[in-house]
Amino acid sequence: MSARGYDNVVLCCPVTEPYVRRSEHGAAWFLAHTLRRLLDAAAIAKSQIDGSCVSSFTLHPDTAVGFIQQAGLSPRFLEWLPMGGACGIIALRRAARAVQAGDADIVACIAGDTANESSFRDLVANFSSFSRDAVYPYGAGGPNASFALIADAYMRATGATREDFGKLAVSQRANAQGNPLALLRTPLTLDQYLAARPIAEPLHLFDCVMPCAGADGFLVMPEARARVLNLPFVRILGAIERHNAFPDDPVQVRGGWAMDRDALWAQAGLEPRDVQCVQTYDDYPVISMLQFEGLGLCAAGEAPAFVRRHDFTIAGSLPHNTGGGQLSMGQAGAAGGYLGLVEAMRQLLGQATARQVPDARHALVSGFGMINYDRGLCTAATVLGRA
Amino acid sequence: MIRLQHCSACGTAQYPPREFCAACLSDCLTWDTAEALPGRVLARTILHHSNEEAMRARLPLTVGLVQFDAGPVAVCLLSTTAEPGDVVRVRLNGDALLEAA
Repeated sequence: MSARGYDNVVLCCPVTEPYVRRSEHGAAWFLAHTLRRLLDAAAIAKSQIDGSCVSSFTLHPDTAVGFIQQAGLSPRFLEWLPMGGACGIIALRRAARAVQAGDADIVACIAGDTANESSFRDLVANFSSFSRDAVYPYGAGGPNASFALIADAYMRATGATREDFGKLAVSQRANAQGNPLALLRTPLTLDQYLAARPIAEPLHLFDCVMPCAGADGFLVMPEARARVLNLPFVRILGAIERHNAFPDDPVQVRGGWAMDRDALWAQAGLEPRDVQCVQTYDDYPVISMLQFEGLGLCAAGEAPAFVRRHDFTIAGSLPHNTGGGQLSMGQAGAAGGYLGLVEAMRQLLGQATARQVPDARHALVSGFGMINYDRGLCTAATVLGRA
Repeated sequence: MIRLQHCSACGTAQYPPREFCAACLSDCLTWDTAEALPGRVLARTILHHSNEEAMRARLPLTVGLVQFDAGPVAVCLLSTTAEPGDVVRVRLNGDALLEAA
């Protein structure tokens, strides 16, 4: 049975609590500031928020319910979504269904994290039982080591080169020039990319995201409510998620998008060529290439040729990670799972200022989360449309 | 000695160990024990950075994904000469870590 559409429910008010390299504040501070930004953007009272989806890696020992007590909310719908890079699209899906069912009227979706000297090390050392027991002791390379193994296998299987990865990183840095929220805006050349020091070969410095603090958020509500509040909105044309796809693949050279992309494009009534910008989850460029393949922008194993044939800058043939992506904005923990969604909303709302893609009508956003052992487990994607 | 978890209900081998079988959810698990287990290298990385101060003296460190002939895939310390595609034997070293050569 195919899933019902997302009729009569819309997304409003993309907000970002600006990213910073390190912070003395806790994760709850970032989430609370994001909530404040949502209230200000929508000109609503806190009491009008009757649903919330929350994601964070550094909120512990609290979860969503601890946060909403701190923030003085009393929602009738609450989700705690610790699914990393997929949490934004999963929040969208949960919130949209709750609104359609009448379980909530205005849902605040927020994700954010703090960062300090020890937070990243503590997070990766205890990320999951498998990674604690069977990955971390092997050099404590963290996600760099795990993704290096995936990148190595992908390069051997497809002929992808460092130049291919570099093209994505360099394009995103160019796109970041138009985004004052990006932490890394110093122009990057392909020569600089190639000359960078190795981190976990084949990954080098500019393949790796920089951990930082920050948060992102958006509101989900009935279209009628957005009209009453006079808020510009974006439509959800289709959305998918999948967890632990292809567990028998010995090494991850594909993600769960391949299982669900036909349903996504059918639900949206569109094809990949109908989108004007693509926002992938770019913790490493190789993972963006898995998303191009998995979502049907090119065939399996053909992302290297796809990358060579396209220009991914704002004025290019396929604007990709138009705000700079995580590689240029920084990875603010769980907010990395929101960043592409918030950027796509800004593009479709015409709020992308210097990096605005001309006539952006449809956007594809993809998420990828939770490398628990040897592979990322959560995949998600959505196609959004200008109202 | 190296140990690989084995389900006595359905015969599946698995790694990392857990309290039930991923294939049939039985908890009738036993251990296959050997001096070394055969496998093949799937991928490798050379680590130049570690999040742990204590590990930094050992860098660069070669780490690989190895698929045991029995099926499961393990992250292993890899000998510097082992390449993806190579047949290796996996042992437990003095730090109780898997080492493939």
